[in-house]
Amino acid sequence: MTAISPAGGADPGATVPDRPLLDVRGLRTYFHVMDGTVKAVDGVDFSIPPGGTVGLVGESGCGKSVTAHSIMRLIDIPPGEIAGGEIWFDGRDLLKLSDSEMRHVRGGEIAMVFQEPMTSLNPVFTIGDQISEAILLHNDVNKKEAAERAIESLKAVGVSAPERRVKQYPHELSGGMRQRAMIAMALSCNPKLVIADEPTTALDVTIQAQILELIKALQARTGTALLLITHDLAVVAETVQTIAVMYAGRIVEAGTVDQVLLAPQHPYTQGLLNSIPGVKKRGRALSVIKGVVPNPFRLPPGCKFQPRCPYAWEACSASEPELLPAPNGAKSRCYLHSPEGAGRREAFEKSVAATMESVGG
Amino acid sequence: MTDASSRLAETSAAAATGARPVLLETLNLKKYFPIMGGLLRHQVGSVYAVDDVSLQIYKGETFGLVGESGCGKTTFGRTILRLEKATGGSVSMDGQDVLALHGDALKRMRRRMQVIFQDPYGSLNPRMPISDIIGEGLLAQGDKANGWRKRSIRDQRVGDYLEAVGLRRDYSRRYPHEFSGGQRQRIGIARALALGPEFVVCDEPVSALDVSIQSQILNLLSDLRAEFNLTYLFIAHNLSVVQYFCERIGVMYLGKIVEVAATDVLYATPQHPYSVALLSAIPVPDPRVRTKRLVLKGDVPSPANPPSGCRFHTRCWLRERLGNPAECSTTEPPLRELAGGHLAACHFAEQVTAQAVQEAAATQSVIETAVDVD
Repeated sequence: MTAISPAGGADPGATVPDRPLLDVRGLRTYFHVMDGTVKAVDGVDFSIPPGGTVGLVGESGCGKSVTAHSIMRLIDIPPGEIAGGEIWFDGRDLLKLSDSEMRHVRGGEIAMVFQEPMTSLNPVFTIGDQISEAILLHNDVNKKEAAERAIESLKAVGVSAPERRVKQYPHELSGGMRQRAMIAMALSCNPKLVIADEPTTALDVTIQAQILELIKALQARTGTALLLITHDLAVVAETVQTIAVMYAGRIVEAGTVDQVLLAPQHPYTQGLLNSIPGVKKRGRALSVIKGVVPNPFRLPPGCKFQPRCPYAWEACSASEPELLPAPNGAKSRCYLHSPEGAGRREAFEKSVAATMESVGG
Repeated sequence: MTDASSRLAETSAAAATGARPVLLETLNLKKYFPIMGGLLRHQVGSVYAVDDVSLQIYKGETFGLVGESGCGKTTFGRTILRLEKATGGSVSMDGQDVLALHGDALKRMRRRMQVIFQDPYGSLNPRMPISDIIGEGLLAQGDKANGWRKRSIRDQRVGDYLEAVGLRRDYSRRYPHEFSGGQRQRIGIARALALGPEFVVCDEPVSALDVSIQSQILNLLSDLRAEFNLTYLFIAHNLSVVQYFCERIGVMYLGKIVEVAATDVLYATPQHPYSVALLSAIPVPDPRVRTKRLVLKGDVPSPANPPSGCRFHTRCWLRERLGNPAECSTTEPPLRELAGGHLAACHFAEQVTAQAVQEAAATQSVIETAVDVD
């Protein structure tokens, strides 16, 4: 019943208590706008071991992208504000680095792949120029060597005829090809961590399959750590080792893929799994999470999920639960796992069993 | 396998008895968009968005149309509704030739065929209150018999349909920006249904929504179908949604229908190499399921310059396995019936077996999948 320690433990799968590569502790990112303050990220803790893969999952507005942008220090201040917390990366607190130190980390040690490859590539420079720019910035090489490395990095992500591609502009490439170029750019400086923010959301399903397989293969080959941000539980299921589920600026459940997706410990995670349509649910109504995501200016008291939660009782609106260890070793921000919740937990577990029955392929 | 083949037998039995009347039928429907260019802005080519599509949609069913962006599925929906002018072919609804109608007859037909759009933000006029957004169609279709020209009757009906889609009557005075994405989509549904249609084209109705809202809208669409005896053409790229929601499915690729089958049959035994790859690409939320995926090479070619013969031959894994037979690139495969109600457009559909798929998946390289195919 003690507060969860922020460090290390967020990766229950790891046996060696190695120092994590990335350790986010109590991160709070607020936005001060005209109508008040939006606490987009409000106390997020998680860590990634060297070479580890973590998925950050949640619906729009849950704070997953803001978390990623905070790590990269890409939040506009103002209106944004990092109101608290620490982001330890490889022995340094990124929040304490100067802007010029941060520029070396960004793109060099931590690289980012964005959702929309059309808007995140500069339309007036060739693909080769844009990849070389990053290589020149972070390595001691001349232009010619950088251009050669750009071609190599395109080749590594499976782009055919890379010698020709480097001379092309973003609009000349298809969506899948542009995303490959983004990945090539991200990997060109051998980063220790790649943050991929919805890397396949804008792509068609066959191209999504190509890119996911590519990310998996490259991750295995290079040993780069990966933070994958997505709204799609199916995408994380295939790509990462551990998952953190976010809701209203908080992590509500964290654990290995098997723990979270096979035995969800938080009613919100269960609700998400339940909402996925599948063949076994045909002819039956999909079970839904009632209501909508709360207005960020008027978050409910206590647990933020409580107004939509079928298991909520008085305790849930009185105070907010901590991220507590659940029986299966995962962590869940839910009073169902406190001694007082024991009675209701049985009903929850029964319902989870029914969910898992209907999710299977 | 036996499971699937027994299901195949079932559907063929249903097809043989011909129990279900056809509501909407297209025959060789074509829609080409001209490409203008040159000094005098003359036509220099065409985008073959929908090319020779023949489909039957039964009364009361939910027919899913799937395919990737640019395959022509949305254009197909718009063309049968006459939101686009067809280049050729015919569309018949309940035996009436939709493309030949004009004047009053066309107006009466429009009442029977409605559409729900994908983007709940772009499809509602931000300057109109909800009562006008839903009432606009009623006003246009008003006549002596239904009395929709009278504001009071119209408002009554708007309120009824707002309630039918799970919103409050008094929301009719509000404007679109006051609603969330899910609520807006409900308004779009109320607008389509207020005219009392029999046939509704749902064009990606849940693609823009979060999963928890998506399931609410799917449940609503399914309740409304039962309540108002609707027939849906459900256009989507999300294959899990289609699998859950539709009874029969057509798969489109580059303007062509490549496979049509009952949902269970298609997901259990797809017979077109493209359908196989498309289904194999669906990510599964169950970490216990770890099948080797069949990843297609390259991107969809341009519909302005589609490949010769079979349009899929440039990316086809089966063609590669069979040693690149000449027919694939020279002869266009017809959509032929393999079993009762199961149609596929592939010369070698019989060679698509579970074993062939497995072997193809095992031998591919997942990195070298970005190749030029056009």
